[in-house]
Amino acid sequence: MDAWVNEIFIGISLASILLMVALGLAIIYGTMGVINLAHGQFVMLGAYGAWLLQTQYGVSVVVALPVVFVVVGLLGLAVERTIIQRLYHRPLDTILATWGIGIVLEQIVRNMFGSSSRYVGRPEFLDGGYLILGAHASSYRLFIIFFSLVMLAATWYLLFRTEFGTKLRSVIQNVEISECYGISAKRVYALTFAYGAGLAGIAGALIAPLVSVTPTMGTSLVVDAFLVVIVGGVGSLVGTAASAFMIGEASAFLSYVFNDTTGRILILLGVIVLIRFRPQGLFPDTVRR
Amino acid sequence: MNKGFKIDCIGYALFAAFVLLLMPWMVDFSGYELNSYARYLALGMVAAALALSWGTAGILNLGQALTFGMGAYIMAMHLKLRASESLPGGMPDFMGWTNVEALPWFWQPFHSLIFTLGAGVLIPVGVACLLGAFMFRGRITGVFVAIITLSLMLAVQLWIISEQRFTGGENGITGLAPLSLFGWSVDTYDLSFYYLVAGCLLVGLAVGLALVRSKAGLVLRAIKANPERVRFFGYDVARYETLAFATSAGIAGVAGMLYALVLEFASPTYMGLSISLAIVIWAAVGGRESMVAAALGGIGVNMAEGRLSDLFFDQWTLMLGVIFIAVVLFLPRGLYGLVVSGREYLEARYAARFAPAANGAQEAASPQVADHGETK
Repeated sequence: MDAWVNEIFIGISLASILLMVALGLAIIYGTMGVINLAHGQFVMLGAYGAWLLQTQYGVSVVVALPVVFVVVGLLGLAVERTIIQRLYHRPLDTILATWGIGIVLEQIVRNMFGSSSRYVGRPEFLDGGYLILGAHASSYRLFIIFFSLVMLAATWYLLFRTEFGTKLRSVIQNVEISECYGISAKRVYALTFAYGAGLAGIAGALIAPLVSVTPTMGTSLVVDAFLVVIVGGVGSLVGTAASAFMIGEASAFLSYVFNDTTGRILILLGVIVLIRFRPQGLFPDTVRR
Repeated sequence: MNKGFKIDCIGYALFAAFVLLLMPWMVDFSGYELNSYARYLALGMVAAALALSWGTAGILNLGQALTFGMGAYIMAMHLKLRASESLPGGMPDFMGWTNVEALPWFWQPFHSLIFTLGAGVLIPVGVACLLGAFMFRGRITGVFVAIITLSLMLAVQLWIISEQRFTGGENGITGLAPLSLFGWSVDTYDLSFYYLVAGCLLVGLAVGLALVRSKAGLVLRAIKANPERVRFFGYDVARYETLAFATSAGIAGVAGMLYALVLEFASPTYMGLSISLAIVIWAAVGGRESMVAAALGGIGVNMAEGRLSDLFFDQWTLMLGVIFIAVVLFLPRGLYGLVVSGREYLEARYAARFAPAANGAQEAASPQVADHGETK
């Protein structure tokens, strides 16, 4: 019994990480149809940002979050202005361009910090853990679960309760008519991309204490996040959250029943079958399009 | 149509001359140097295979390295068995280390050379037919095809790494015997081996070009432009897409076999994410619409990598990324696009000089309409 509760908790913990990484990708893909393969590298930059702030200035991860959000967001803005902006009429080519961006970012980081893995400490006040229903839950993982929900709520608020969100949703529905009403689609796209990149940065900073921080850490993350977005359904926040939860729980249980590798293979095969029969995703957003 | 065929033939002949004469001449027909050139040719071949499905039918296969890696493993399995003949039970050494009792059944047929050569083409084709039928019957397109092919490749790669007993795991299959091809022992550092690889590449390209310029190729290009309309005309879109996908897989399988021969081992990295996206990069740099251009892209980028990575070490990766972003932004049709626009420009000049002005302008405009397909 304890083992199962433990697995559920591990699943939720995995899901929260997936959700954080996928959220930025989902909002960029949902808005612009841009498949941002450099997203993993934005996450990696966030992790390195947290590491740099911690080792150079002794700043804890939690305090580093706003800095990382702004810096990676600005970088995302620069990338959008210089490169992505020119590719909106060729969405499949964004896969190629953003992969190129990813290669460049990875190499720059390798030049600056080397390719050895870095360690980021968790904040001291989150060092302990709790026993919940007999399962051990570390405070830091609980904090990540909590924070991923905060990020989800913030994104929901941004989309549905702010003026920017209204503009964004109108641009998604119809670019031409939105522009007739004086909304600058270019500006909306740029800010959305920057926001998505900033979210990736936060995700990177938060998962840094749980993984080893290396220049190549982004690649596997982006694949997982992308699967979450596609399974959830394009442009649907609820879908992204639900599919992150499903994939997280499924990989926890499959890894427990079989082993890590078999679990991952089964997840990949499951995703293939799911995409084949529901390419629109589990929770397609039928209202907005 | 006929004009396109003529231009293809000229391009193919120039490419054949480049591969058969110019490249060996650059290194004085030295077999030792040509070993690395043979590697570039094998990689160019898989780039051409991708161009067949991507450029012709608009199927972006992010898992092209899957069929490539399968070919490599099939060749390596045969050569490993050859190398292990003196060992107990004729079993590869890594199986002995992991206490496998007897040679597994799916290794048995690879004793035969004929079976191996056939399997290297037919198993990738078979897998591609099944996957193609699975995807295209469900009218899966664009990014979803990319995700499915990518996921399947990652799943197979994980399986190969985890089943170390049967596949050599992370290390791959190493310590291979030289290939003995009907009594001819293949020396990979010999001029004849280079010509073997070049011959396979040219045959592969010829098969691809024959498909592209056949009626099926015309339907495929129509599917790329607008699948719904082709479906309304009564064509079985899924069948044509599967045809392109499977042919591409077969060519990639041969490329993989050659690659395993050159490097003398097979490794799970052959079907990894990075090589798969690298293949896409090569095809995009050369020009996805033409198999010959994509092959040149693969050869060129790898040749540059061979030269420049000695000079710049890791910085080469940075340069590759920048070059690639620039190509996607400014040359969406790759270097092939440059050639096409150059040719159109020359034709317009030529036509303007020899024909009445108004007539000439019209002539020059028509191929543009025909060639500028949507670059999806």
